[in-house]
Amino acid sequence: MAAKIRQPGWYRALAFSILGVLVCLGLSTGLRAAFTVDPVYDGEAFLQIALLMVPLFFLGGIGCFDYWLRWASGRTVVDDHADHGAKSWRDYFKVNTDHKVIGIQYIVVSMFFMFAGGLMAMLVRAELAAPGRQFVDPNTYNGVFSIHATLLIFLFVIPVFAGIANYVLPLMIGAPDMAFPRLNALSFWMLPVAGTMMLLSFLAPGGSFAAGWTAYAPLSVDAPIGQAFFTIAVQFAGASSIATALNFLVTIITMRAPGMTFFRMPLLVWANFSTSLLVVIATPFIAASQFMVLLDRALGFNFFNPANGGDVLMYQHVFWFYSHPAVYIMLLPGFGIISEVLATRARKPVFGYRMMAFSLLAIVLLGFTVWAHHMFVSGMSDWIRIPMMITTAIIAIPTGIKIFSWVATLWRGVIKMDTPMLWAVGFISMFTLGGISGVMLAMVPLDIHVSDTYFIVAHIHYVLFGGSMFTIMAGIYFWFPKMTGRMFNERLGKIHFWLTFIFFNVTFAPMHLIGVQGMPRRVSDYADQFATWNLVISISSFILGFASLIFLYNMITSWRSGPKAGSNPWNSLTIEWQVSSPPPIFNFDAIPSVVGGPYEYGVPGAVHAVFNDTKPDPLPVGAGAGAAEAD
Amino acid sequence: MEAASIPTPVAHDDHHHGPPIANQSSRVNSEVLGILLFIISEIMLFGAFFAAYFFIRVVSADGWPPGEGLPVAVAAINAAILLSSSVTMHWTDVSAKRDNQRAMRVGIVTTFLLGCTFLFIQINEYLHLGFAPKTSASASVFFGLTGLHGAHVLIGLLLLWMSAVRIFKGKVGPDHHRGLEIPGIYWHFVDAMWIVVFTTIYVL
Repeated sequence: MAAKIRQPGWYRALAFSILGVLVCLGLSTGLRAAFTVDPVYDGEAFLQIALLMVPLFFLGGIGCFDYWLRWASGRTVVDDHADHGAKSWRDYFKVNTDHKVIGIQYIVVSMFFMFAGGLMAMLVRAELAAPGRQFVDPNTYNGVFSIHATLLIFLFVIPVFAGIANYVLPLMIGAPDMAFPRLNALSFWMLPVAGTMMLLSFLAPGGSFAAGWTAYAPLSVDAPIGQAFFTIAVQFAGASSIATALNFLVTIITMRAPGMTFFRMPLLVWANFSTSLLVVIATPFIAASQFMVLLDRALGFNFFNPANGGDVLMYQHVFWFYSHPAVYIMLLPGFGIISEVLATRARKPVFGYRMMAFSLLAIVLLGFTVWAHHMFVSGMSDWIRIPMMITTAIIAIPTGIKIFSWVATLWRGVIKMDTPMLWAVGFISMFTLGGISGVMLAMVPLDIHVSDTYFIVAHIHYVLFGGSMFTIMAGIYFWFPKMTGRMFNERLGKIHFWLTFIFFNVTFAPMHLIGVQGMPRRVSDYADQFATWNLVISISSFILGFASLIFLYNMITSWRSGPKAGSNPWNSLTIEWQVSSPPPIFNFDAIPSVVGGPYEYGVPGAVHAVFNDTKPDPLPVGAGAGAAEAD
Repeated sequence: MEAASIPTPVAHDDHHHGPPIANQSSRVNSEVLGILLFIISEIMLFGAFFAAYFFIRVVSADGWPPGEGLPVAVAAINAAILLSSSVTMHWTDVSAKRDNQRAMRVGIVTTFLLGCTFLFIQINEYLHLGFAPKTSASASVFFGLTGLHGAHVLIGLLLLWMSAVRIFKGKVGPDHHRGLEIPGIYWHFVDAMWIVVFTTIYVL
């Protein structure tokens, strides 16, 4: 037992967490005694310190900091790759530095939170099935939709893309791993911490956080202590995404295979490059907004207290300066996935490759100029609306370039309509609808009319479900054979797609109508005139939820006993398909050389990358990074 | 493990213990690039607090400065202290590249002590200001920005401590100086940021 507590792992994590709770208790009572605050013990003060610090103790216990602390204490550290790669399923529950293991950890954990967030959505729909009160009281209802949105945004869409890219991106660019494997592990382990914290807020006195995923001040400052769970959990989720983004950027810039110029990179790599730029630049803003809320809540600061000169609109500016780019953080990686799937399954080069890359960068730049279109009715100065309306309309242009290029990629292709392709094509149609309602919302008069109605709910679900979710499904089905070495059940995959596609539309399309008629969002009750549509939506949403169970069943049974997939079942040119499925522990024995573009389908004899293994390895086996000592 | 699709005689050798050496596709060192990107992120974090400063001082026009005037002279002396610590930091870095162990030790200790002096003066200033964060929104902004910067000085000092430990164990030299260079870059950022904070909070 004592030996187990000394080793990094779950026993030590538990011991450290308990120690952390005690330390926080000592800190909060000690500080209050030192500053002669009465009473010395205050539950909320203790809880807020604990929420900030116990996760750090947990991360230390599980082993995220071991290597760095050994380094910092001045000892000689040699990386023997002991915690690299998974030999059994148990290794997936440990701190691991292999990008492939981390990728799967990311995907599985975010899928768990997808189901948790999805269940919250079903609860919302159950409550809204009929006017009046069904199952939950209004306060709980506010909590349920807040956690639904928060989990699906911060714990599903953003990290699942990071997971897919974690697995695929180093392979695609011919790198043996990410640039900073231990930072990568830390990024992952902050996620379950953040997600658990959000779910735990249900147990908080006064109920869970209930101010929506936007957590506008001063509502979030005055809310019961459950709100602090959001404020602090977002810090961990945000730190995780900044660290991953930094890792992706350094990996893409410094670790590409010889010959892999920027314009020979697959578009998934371009997409993650752009997304990571957005994350590194924008995410500190949500961190700052939550820091300010925390300071207001915990230490009596006045950032959002108008009585003492604070500015509540400032919260919305700072928040949306992150959260509008966040919409693109939740879409650009999906754009990359769609480009990969379409080119491979239509057997054609991506139409307008360079414009596809440049439009990603254009979205990054323009994404920073549109934030106040979320604030047309907030009471900010009227004149800001007009430039924001114009920039919002302009950002549809690079997005439009991408949609037209995808359609042109399909044009006269040899299209194979299997599951990944169905999701990709479904994405193009559904996301176009979401994009169009987005341009409608950019127009100030319409936006004022439908602000805070179900029209907004319909729009965001067309973009994030019909958009992001469909690309995630396309990506997971597409790379499933690479990650597991097995093929999924095509028939179940198609049933999953068609059920989702049909009932997604039945669920969210009517919301446009009832939204324009004035049904307010984020309210647990509604006028009787909306009853029929709401019943239809609720029934449909339950079928939508059922469809995701088919997906779960397909993934689990195929992973356990699906037919073996070859190394390259889709006959793709990019590098990740040229190694075995699943790939070897260090990806390559020697780094491949890139000799052509990634999408030369239909060009006779086209090769993207060649493996140099036939030449004798100039270095002795085992030399190199394996035995290098850190500086 | 299955073989790769391309037949390869030496591929998948079971005795291969360690990754192949990654291709360096950029002249920039990956650790330096990493810390620079992190600093961009940090600048944006400060940017958000400067946005708060702008909204509360200019848009809502809460009175500035908070309290009855800020101790500009003290803050200016502090700026001088922090700037001179940047100079000693650079000297430490240069000494590492020249393998001058003695100069390196003197340099890192001086830098560390200058950083501590800055923090000590800053905390002392807090205690004598005559206003607290709860007094007004401008006071919150003052404590928010200077406190955020102070937290960064503290992180910088932690990193310097780690470098110092390695220097005193003789593990830093011309071929092993990233563990000094990276904290050094961060320290220069913390110093440069103080100039911006000092100018906006105390001077303007």
